[in-house]
Amino acid sequence: MLRRSRWLTTVALGAVSALALAACGGGDDSGGGTAAAPTGGGGEQVEISFLTHWAPDQVAKLESVVDAYEQEHPNVSIEVRAVPFADLLTTLRSQAGSDNGPTMAGIYDLWLPELVRDGVVAEAPEAQAAEIQSEWPANLAAAASVDGKVYGFPNEVDLYALNYNKKLFEEAGISEPPATWDELVADAEKLTKRDGDRITQQGFGLISSWAAGTVHPWTSLLYSNGGELIDEAGRPALDTPQALQTFELVENLVGKAKVTDPAMSTADANTTGPYLESFVSGKTAMIIMANWWESALKAGMKEAFEDVATAPIPVGPSGDGPHPVSYSWMTVVNGKADDAEQQAAWDFLDYLNSPESGTDGASAMAELLQSMGILPSRTSDLEAYADELDRPFLKGYTEQLENAKPFPIVLGGQEFTEALQKDLEALQAGQITAREAQERAQADAESVLGAAG
Amino acid sequence: MRVARQPLWTVGFLAPSVALIGVFVLVPIGLTLWLSLHEWSTATPFSEASWVGLDNFKALFEGAIVGRDFRQSWRNTFVYAGLSIALILPLSVVLGIIIQRSTIRGRTVLRTVLFATYTIPMIAVAIVWSKLYSPSEGPINEALGWFGIAPQPWLSSTSTALVSLVFLNVWQQLGYFTVLVVAGLTQISPSVFEAAALDGARTLKLHAYVTIPLLRRTLLFCVVIALINAIQVFEPVVAITQGGPVGSTNVLTYHIRQVGIERSQGGLASAMAVMLLLSLMVVVTFVFALARRAEDR
Repeated sequence: MLRRSRWLTTVALGAVSALALAACGGGDDSGGGTAAAPTGGGGEQVEISFLTHWAPDQVAKLESVVDAYEQEHPNVSIEVRAVPFADLLTTLRSQAGSDNGPTMAGIYDLWLPELVRDGVVAEAPEAQAAEIQSEWPANLAAAASVDGKVYGFPNEVDLYALNYNKKLFEEAGISEPPATWDELVADAEKLTKRDGDRITQQGFGLISSWAAGTVHPWTSLLYSNGGELIDEAGRPALDTPQALQTFELVENLVGKAKVTDPAMSTADANTTGPYLESFVSGKTAMIIMANWWESALKAGMKEAFEDVATAPIPVGPSGDGPHPVSYSWMTVVNGKADDAEQQAAWDFLDYLNSPESGTDGASAMAELLQSMGILPSRTSDLEAYADELDRPFLKGYTEQLENAKPFPIVLGGQEFTEALQKDLEALQAGQITAREAQERAQADAESVLGAAG
Repeated sequence: MRVARQPLWTVGFLAPSVALIGVFVLVPIGLTLWLSLHEWSTATPFSEASWVGLDNFKALFEGAIVGRDFRQSWRNTFVYAGLSIALILPLSVVLGIIIQRSTIRGRTVLRTVLFATYTIPMIAVAIVWSKLYSPSEGPINEALGWFGIAPQPWLSSTSTALVSLVFLNVWQQLGYFTVLVVAGLTQISPSVFEAAALDGARTLKLHAYVTIPLLRRTLLFCVVIALINAIQVFEPVVAITQGGPVGSTNVLTYHIRQVGIERSQGGLASAMAVMLLLSLMVVVTFVFALARRAEDR
């Protein structure tokens, strides 16, 4: 009896694991590239969906755009689905091939090569591809393309800068933000407060438990020290002296100068959490973050948001100037959706990103992004929001756009980012030295990118 | 005549359940085993899987990042399961005995409150506990501050994150296991306790030499179920820690999902699932062997 129970237990457990994996398989693999035709008022009923990781406020705004579109296109019904950022890629991958899978999705540009390889995203029809190439800056149209074919509407552009709390700077007697790494460490020491060995106010925050949040700020420092993640030949370039200096900066901030407490800057699945709370509550004086968190800062700090200022990334000893990481997001169409759904989806995206859907020459997408403090990307949107983009917090970012360098978009890019995240977090936790972190990061990158081909 | 018809009846009654087990249990297990020997993107049909033999398993034991991450998640999973069982089992026995054998008032209320935690979805528990654990605004750190204890990093530190998730699991599961223990206690005849009491056994000895030995089968069931529940931990990791910091809460279910679905490496993830299944078979067999040896003694 016991033996039978044991077997049933183990067999049932195996089934749970196996079913989870088996559920991912199957589905047909019809490619993209369907020619889209505007979906008018008549024709068969089409039900499509839009998958996003946006917060409820932005989802409500998107739903109001959807309502306006549905009024003009009564045969199209659009459902907006929101998941936390951490579940976005998984949801897209696991549901793309199913009948009820998302028809449109907002994706991070790093994911595009693999989604294209697996047929999860559809190639843009000629009309939309031509529009994207003519109406968006060339580098963003390129970021939405693989092998010269366009796969999505670029929507947002993000880049990193140093955010600092002016009030804490005044209290510490510091008049200017740090421009170099030496100044960064010196200022962080003045800004750090302790209770015994415990840091109660950290001079500089290093984000962890979130791949982009950990890797992008570090890469911004690496770029600003003359280094690269991947060289022109596509080989990992973490074995350079510039990279070692950047690992050593982290080691110094955490282990020697002790101006950073990694436990104060972890992130959760929604890319919020302690790192945000620490900055909002004045327990972090400086942090490198992307422009999109402006709305989160405003919501958390209220009037105290006026104390937040933006400065260029401090430059390392081998660097020639600040070079923040930039990346973009885009909206893509499911390559496994049927032709009618793909046509309706491209037509809606055309509307959402066109000046006709918004006000004063801006698109509805730009209005939506601006509500979060995110830079829109369509050239006409940038012109329509020229005054808005000049506000103090964002100006510090927009001024650095010309110096920004994109995060490399390669096959295996997400896994490469996660591997580097783990090595950086191990360094932050004092588990490995800067040199060990460098050796491990280079080996991991070679292993991951080599396997991805 | 009856002898000849019986096997047919037997087959008839067994067929539906055997067919269901075959379709929903054995076929997926077989499929996972087959996939573990292939390189396969989960975004493509099975027909595109290519044979790699034991390469996926080899990768799990090598020094590169694939093997390192797998072994860390395997270790985390079993540490989590071990700590969960080590806390749940004694606490549920103590609470079960208090509820079943003591004469305190409000026993039913206590039992209901304890069991209520089990009815709350784990994802809700995870979200609430992530706020309780918040290093700057969390009520737990505030409460510690009343006693002069410095704020703890809880989920933000490599040394405390996994244990913090264990506490969350214990809080949610304790009521369920207490009810199981209470059910086990009701199966023990009161005359056994009376006889032991007449022989001079008092509280501690009574429970150590009478109650717990007679609860052995219930406790064995509790260990196996707690182990299975713990191995399946997923929601708190995905909702709160994302496997961090530094992979300290990266458990196998979360890691398999990340590799198999997020990275589409279905063959590699299948190999991990097979290793999880084999590990569980070994552990469960070991637990039953220990129990049988104790029974034989």
